[in-house]
Amino acid sequence: MLKPSRRIPGSLKRLMLAIALVAFAASAARAQEAAELKGIEQQLNGLGDRIQRLQDLTEIEIVQDAYGYFVDKAQWHYLADLFADDATLEIGGKGVFLGRARVFEYMHVGLGPIGPRDGSLIDHQQFQCLPTINADGVTAQIRCIAFVMSSGGWGHNYYEDRFVKINGVWQFQKLRGPFNMYSGYKVGWLDNTILNTYPEKWPPWPDLPPTVIYLTYPNYYVEPFHYPNPVTGKPMPPPSPRAGGEAFGR
Amino acid sequence: MALTSKAARSALSLILGLALCAHAFATDDAARLAALKSRIKAIAAETTYVEAITRIQRLGRAFGYYTDKGYFGEAADLFTDDGTFQWGVDGVYKGKAHIRELLTRHGGGSLKEGPGLPFGRLNLRMQLQPVVTVAADGSSAHARWREWGLLGEYKKSATWGDAIIEDDYVNDNGVWKISARRYYLNFEAPYQGGWASLKPVAGSWQSAVARDFPADAPTPAPYQPFPAVFVPAYDYAGTLRAIQSRAPFDAPKRPADALGRLETLADVKELQLARAHSVRAIENLQAMYGYYIDKGQWQKAATLFSRDGTYEFGQSGVYVGNAHIERALSLMGPPGLEQGQLNNYVMVQPIINVSDDNRTAKARWRSDVQLARGGKGRWGGGVYENEYVNDKGTWKFSALHYYVTFWGDYDQGWAAKPYPMDPPSTTIPPDRPPTVVYQSFPKLQVVPYHYNNPVSGKPIPAEHE
Repeated sequence: MLKPSRRIPGSLKRLMLAIALVAFAASAARAQEAAELKGIEQQLNGLGDRIQRLQDLTEIEIVQDAYGYFVDKAQWHYLADLFADDATLEIGGKGVFLGRARVFEYMHVGLGPIGPRDGSLIDHQQFQCLPTINADGVTAQIRCIAFVMSSGGWGHNYYEDRFVKINGVWQFQKLRGPFNMYSGYKVGWLDNTILNTYPEKWPPWPDLPPTVIYLTYPNYYVEPFHYPNPVTGKPMPPPSPRAGGEAFGR
Repeated sequence: MALTSKAARSALSLILGLALCAHAFATDDAARLAALKSRIKAIAAETTYVEAITRIQRLGRAFGYYTDKGYFGEAADLFTDDGTFQWGVDGVYKGKAHIRELLTRHGGGSLKEGPGLPFGRLNLRMQLQPVVTVAADGSSAHARWREWGLLGEYKKSATWGDAIIEDDYVNDNGVWKISARRYYLNFEAPYQGGWASLKPVAGSWQSAVARDFPADAPTPAPYQPFPAVFVPAYDYAGTLRAIQSRAPFDAPKRPADALGRLETLADVKELQLARAHSVRAIENLQAMYGYYIDKGQWQKAATLFSRDGTYEFGQSGVYVGNAHIERALSLMGPPGLEQGQLNNYVMVQPIINVSDDNRTAKARWRSDVQLARGGKGRWGGGVYENEYVNDKGTWKFSALHYYVTFWGDYDQGWAAKPYPMDPPSTTIPPDRPPTVVYQSFPKLQVVPYHYNNPVSGKPIPAEHE
């Protein structure tokens, strides 16, 4: 009686031990595996954020470049569609326009009817775009050159624009286009440059006055860079107060 | 008894069996886990690689914005402490201080005062068309750039600048810097008369800056500027890395377990990364094509097309296949061009859309054209709507289509003296007639967009609104 009763518990003990060991090992392994998988998921999502930034850089440059192609052909409706509802526009010295409808008006009333007109070239080329996605992932900036080849001659402007991502779509929040140089074709920028535009020069009238008063070439104005120096990380120093003067550097 | 012990034995073997089974599963899982981890490593490396391309593009463009406005100290800060700058045949300037002085003397700023330019000084140096390649270990990189300059002094001079830049970069603890710049000036041409009026240089053509501020070392390989045809060596010669990204890849169906969910997540990220990488490869491809066309390297340009790729320029008709495309390109001039020929095709303003599966892509580009033939200068402008194919990881043109916006005489301008497009060639006839019949400036038409409005998502009808 005692023998079997001792024997059975003995084998049971081994059995139970085996079960416990396997179960313990399995649950420990599961816990370890779960932690490892969690780590992997975090790693992948971290990389995913960086990959998303790379895609964002392309997407905002596409909006900027699409803007340029729409200007080429005076496609003002399509152009205005690139702007957020409450976006603002400020080009040259003409003051600030508030909202998408006024962006359309700026183009349509200020620059001409919709669609290309034979004999009137207004190529508004986008060069050297330098985009920055902000840490929040839903706002961004870009600095671009607009190099204009038109029937009238040349133009060289900057854009310093802000973008916002709404429902996953990047769009203009603020378009700012300070002029550097406009000139006719015959002698180029030798002289005969066109200084600027002013709010009161022609309709439509802006909602707000210009944020900065400046003169273009042959004068000096530098639109602030939105980004720090990519190597030193230092923000842009202001230009010399004497810059643009006849005696600067002499 | 016997039964009990039998039962115990079978129970034991069952447990052992289960444990073995679990072990087998674990071994399989371990293999999958190891595979996933190595994929993540590869994704991380590729992400860093594509980021490096974008950072180097940023460096080059930041340089342009600095020099435009007389921020020469900031421009010099983009170099390593012992960085070098070879200016044309003037020689090699070494270290940030000398680079700053070099740029200041050429651009017209001040070494004593803060950033800026004096009244009447124009120093717009547009940095365009980068081809960026990053070394496999991520420690160094190269790029080719085009500089298009609008230079001058008010009422004294107005000048076009044209140069090719070959850069070396180093990754200094995560910060990319320019370590060596070779600035191959091709011409500084007076606005009046333009590049076509330039005569071959006789003897030394060092700049006035070099006479007052000599370089630290001579130019390693002197060359002649335009109207000679000089081809600065390509840093990407002999490697396809610049135009490669991931080969098309069909992710297998992943098991519906926890690991499978992560494998699927990795598939998604990998594809998103591959497409972002492809954007950069296609930028490089289009830029490379432009640099080959610049110098009459028709054979090199034609190899950038897929085997059944097509080429269509203005109203020239459609050419099919590498050999015929090479012949079509040769309509622009003899291989390597002749002295006095300028064939600059500036590649700018890309809108690149890679297909969801990373197998094909479409892009719109703009090209400005600066030509010289027989002492006459010409301007051109137009838009590309191109198609590309991912050929086992190497991007190629499957269809290149350049729509001419205008051709114009240099001296009088495109508005006063536009030229029509050439009809299809009779000496090297195309395989097919033009796909679209249109006229260039003074006629204008909207080149069809391959994309919907990027914000509203609506199609953009080609007809006028």
